[in-house]
Amino acid sequence: MGTNYTINELIVSRAAKELRDNELVVIGQGIAMAAGVLARKTHAPNSVILTEAGMFGIDPFKVPLHIADPTCSRGFIYSCDMIDIFTTVLNQGYVDATFLGVGQIDRFGNMNSSYLGDPDDFTIRVTGAGGAPEFVGYANRAILTMSGGKFVDKLDYFTSPGYLDGGNSRYEAGMPEGSGPAILITTKGVFKFDTDTKEMYLAGLHPGATVEDIKADVPWDLNVADTLEITPLPTEEELNIVRTFAPEVSMGRKLQLEVVMNKVFDLLSKNA
Amino acid sequence: MQKFMDSDKRMTAREAIERFVNDGESLVFANCLYSMPLALTHELIRQGKKKLMAFQQGGIEEIDQLLLSDSIDRLVVAYNFRAGGPRITSPLDRALKEGQIVIEEMTNHTLLSMMKAGAMGYPFIPVLPGIKVSDVVKRKGFLGDQRFAEIKDPFTREDMLVVKGYNPDFALMHVQRADKAGNGQLWGAMINSKWAALAAKKVILSCEEIVDTEVIMSSPHLTIVPAHKVCAVVECPLGAHPSEILGHYDYDFPFRALFFGSCSNPEGAKAWMDEWIYNVADRSEYIEHYIRRFGQNTLDAFRAKPFKSVPADYGSTFSLDWDENGYSRNMGINMDEFVAMLDEKGALIHGN
Repeated sequence: MGTNYTINELIVSRAAKELRDNELVVIGQGIAMAAGVLARKTHAPNSVILTEAGMFGIDPFKVPLHIADPTCSRGFIYSCDMIDIFTTVLNQGYVDATFLGVGQIDRFGNMNSSYLGDPDDFTIRVTGAGGAPEFVGYANRAILTMSGGKFVDKLDYFTSPGYLDGGNSRYEAGMPEGSGPAILITTKGVFKFDTDTKEMYLAGLHPGATVEDIKADVPWDLNVADTLEITPLPTEEELNIVRTFAPEVSMGRKLQLEVVMNKVFDLLSKNA
Repeated sequence: MQKFMDSDKRMTAREAIERFVNDGESLVFANCLYSMPLALTHELIRQGKKKLMAFQQGGIEEIDQLLLSDSIDRLVVAYNFRAGGPRITSPLDRALKEGQIVIEEMTNHTLLSMMKAGAMGYPFIPVLPGIKVSDVVKRKGFLGDQRFAEIKDPFTREDMLVVKGYNPDFALMHVQRADKAGNGQLWGAMINSKWAALAAKKVILSCEEIVDTEVIMSSPHLTIVPAHKVCAVVECPLGAHPSEILGHYDYDFPFRALFFGSCSNPEGAKAWMDEWIYNVADRSEYIEHYIRRFGQNTLDAFRAKPFKSVPADYGSTFSLDWDENGYSRNMGINMDEFVAMLDEKGALIHGN
């Protein structure tokens, strides 16, 4: 019998492999939190998860709704505030990794989570910056995932710094030496960044994806690694963990809203 | 800064908003995402307050609601949740496009730093300089240059990025418990609460329960805002619904989905606002209406189970220096001997 998985489950399983044991990692919600928890339950049991809202060392039993959702965990080890996280933790170099979901991304890993379209005449305002610019700017490395986002030549709005114009420009602008996006995992493949030029290149394919297919989504002439890894399928153990911990991540937000709305209408009609 | 020293500031949400909120003022949400002061926000909307300026770290539904009621015309924000994909416009999208509101984009760190500087009485405060490359810094909104500035570190002469301190006219805040003077205690996610509350010129506080001051005094590490900052205390169970507050209730995702679903068009949004804000008098009517619409079981399903913090032991000997026999532990003499000693040493002044 073959493995049946959703695309989000594949992304979570692949992203989890990027977290190492004994690391201190900042995570928000959704796919990123599912990946962090999966890592902790498998190969990285001593990693410490903190959220931007000051919940440090959480052991979530379900995926939090947002960065300040303490109902996801029975307690945590250090209750500080958001200023503490950005200054005493992040600015002092304690954050090994941060996970981030991507809206728009360019060839050097710079990102937009603010506006789609010209900000003065936009189509939609996305969420806004939140904590992304500082976390991507100052964490030792950023693990990026993209499920509904887009590769672009030029960002509509420059929210968060990747490698700026490539080469050394990120570090010349004052961000810590060696920091920056390490990997991008999309619905089709895995991308990494060249050590010297800092330009993004295709490093791996998800099962069933092709290089041509991916190149069609990327507006610049995408570099491709000589040998491409094929993303391993999630194991039964991983699928069990993800579906138990975060069924809403397995199904994705769109399907989640549909299912929840059905429940709401059902409740309303029962009580009408 | 004005001090609020009344020993009993209990009042209804209606009275608090009537007395302490004026059109045109600035406000900050001293909880965001977690334990949101939604009962107070809804009262402010019902009273038709206008032309407010909001500082909001991270919003879920309250910014959209304040826009649908036309209560705010300026917004300083780092994050605002949006439901649905690019084909669905949110109330914030529509308000920006129609010029109903002007906006200033910030990051979580820099917006909260504005509050921290304001809270500490400093004109500005350093922030992480790497984000100078971001459009958050480069593009200016309605605050213009009254936001970021570059200065030289006076000791190393290196470039620094700073943000200006702000003191909003009032904060709205919801906590687990407070005494009647307004010493408010919050636990769970600390996020922006301390700095937003302390930055504001006054705090309108709602709580799940009013407790005796003895409870506060036994757990002072939980006090997030001291009474002298607080102008009104409103006891309001379920005052943060549909957001969550530890020890009381979890978030109500289906109810939120109903709001976001309704917001995809102006008519649906208006119907939601009528049903859940304008057509109920206060939070207890809102809860009654909720039970009528969704059933008591639905509400009860969100109730928190206990998970008690091990109490901190604030114990001491609770005794004076004078022991049970009237002798000083430190000096080894009794009160008469003490007074005699003072006299002998010439320390006692003999009055008429």
